[in-house]
Amino acid sequence: MDDNVILRTEGLSKAYGNGPKKTIALDNVSLQIARRKLLAVHGPSGSGKTTLLFLLGGLDKPTSGRIYFEGIEVSIMSERRLSKLRRNSFGFVFQNYNLVDELTVLENVMLTMMFEGKPDAERKDRAEELLRRVGIAGKERRRPSQLSAGEQQRVAVARAVANRPELVLMDEPTGNLDQENSQQLMRLVADMVQGEGATCVIATHNLDIVSEAPSKIFLKSGRIVSD
Amino acid sequence: MPAFSLVRFTAKGLSRRPIRTTLTIIGLAALILTYVSVQSLVSTLEMNVSGSVSSLGGEIDVWSKGTSFPLFSRVPMSYANTVQSIPGVNLAAPVALAQMTVDNNQAVIAGVVPSELPRMLTYTMVAGTMISSNQSGILAIGKALAATVGKTSGQTLLLDGYNYSIAGVYQTNAWIDYSLIIPHSVAQQLIGWVNQTSMIVVTTQDPRNVDTIIGQIRTLLPTTDAFRTSEAPSKISPIFASLEAIATDITIIVSLSAVLGIMNSNLNNLRERMRTFAIFKATGASSSQIIRLVLYESLLIGILATLLGLGISYVVLNLVSVPVAETINVAIILVPSTFIYATILAISVSLAAAIYPALRIARVRPQEVFRFG
Repeated sequence: MDDNVILRTEGLSKAYGNGPKKTIALDNVSLQIARRKLLAVHGPSGSGKTTLLFLLGGLDKPTSGRIYFEGIEVSIMSERRLSKLRRNSFGFVFQNYNLVDELTVLENVMLTMMFEGKPDAERKDRAEELLRRVGIAGKERRRPSQLSAGEQQRVAVARAVANRPELVLMDEPTGNLDQENSQQLMRLVADMVQGEGATCVIATHNLDIVSEAPSKIFLKSGRIVSD
Repeated sequence: MPAFSLVRFTAKGLSRRPIRTTLTIIGLAALILTYVSVQSLVSTLEMNVSGSVSSLGGEIDVWSKGTSFPLFSRVPMSYANTVQSIPGVNLAAPVALAQMTVDNNQAVIAGVVPSELPRMLTYTMVAGTMISSNQSGILAIGKALAATVGKTSGQTLLLDGYNYSIAGVYQTNAWIDYSLIIPHSVAQQLIGWVNQTSMIVVTTQDPRNVDTIIGQIRTLLPTTDAFRTSEAPSKISPIFASLEAIATDITIIVSLSAVLGIMNSNLNNLRERMRTFAIFKATGASSSQIIRLVLYESLLIGILATLLGLGISYVVLNLVSVPVAETINVAIILVPSTFIYATILAISVSLAAAIYPALRIARVRPQEVFRFG
């Protein structure tokens, strides 16, 4: 096993539905993701980017194929072990932020740490520090809906790295942001995600991100066309 | 994850959904009020009807066979001596009961042998003294009846058209407070009985021998019915015997309705919060943590509803009274065990209504919620 590879897939496929209504979202995808690097996954809408991210993050099960994280097969893990993995080793950033509006900004960032069982004071300190770093200091008690789109996505980044994950999966993180906010977010990703020593996989349409990414794959109709 | 963190997190969540939380709490509190009211009503009737006999003291009552109410019972006075002669019997006291006109009110009067009163009845004198001889024209009146007729010791009242002097006002906190006590011999004259009484109240030297003594009374006096005093309510009326069963049925029906109603509300609530739970799962919450979240939420609602429901029940039931006889209303008796059972019931209903929704929401698949909403 290559120590430099944090995650790899072998013949990963995902199909939805059966018979004539069967849709193949991902078809025989094999890839390796280098530790502490940023991988950009791009391709047209419906090419399987989000499906790939959900599979890599243990949010969905493949129809066939295998996923290995740190050499351990994720695709056959029990739900209990998967949730532990999502809690401790993975961080997620979604296009529409997926912040919980009934919680404050601070509580949203503390969420993962609460599920991990970290003490109150520790998770509060960590969340406040992260919010300061993403430029949301002073707005901790607000609800996510009281923040701008750019601010909400920054909170989502803070939440994703709160438990110091080894892998951060970002699904169209700049999809709802203007160019200025997109650039700002990517600087933050470089600083916070990679700065925390995490590997980052970004599914994106944004060609600026793709062009700057050290490694990239292009998906089309569920297959890797180029890397 | 520490339970305390989860409970606090849940409490905050509830406070952020004040309308739904309040409505659920009120609904559950209404269940508690229903339960406590029904059970307290039954207890009150039971204690007062039972009290019409048992508050006269004793562990065993002897009525004439086939009688459904002590007022209709009639046994020879000599039976008291027969019972008294049974080994282990401490006291066999004749008691004459009759409904009579007291001033302009109807009330049950109790004729007892004055010398036997201290061994039969536990009472305190609110005013004056208890009757102590067979002298005619004097009586002792219960505190509640005294208040109803507006009389106190030293005054006179009309008992069945005759003037009687009130020797004192007693209090027992039982049904007999709505009654009055006269000497047994005087009661016999008023009713028109010769050598007869309504019933015999028996106390034993050793309560463990009650069943044996009952058996002996039944053998010696086959025209009577001897039974434990506590069995009196069910003898008084077959309807009364089934009253507890009816109360239980009402409780079951109301509880099931509450479980289904709250479960439906929980399902709708959780369906609306599906995205929130999907986010919890995506950020690392395990299925068991989500189940615990939902159950803690219900537990908190159950506890709050219990406090509210018991509080309302206590206030409301202290304000109402129920008629146990013509012109006689008694306050609802609040039994502590009813409050304990109500607490268990409310929390059980709350948790039972949350189990299925919790199991369903724990199976939420984040990828589907995020894709399809």
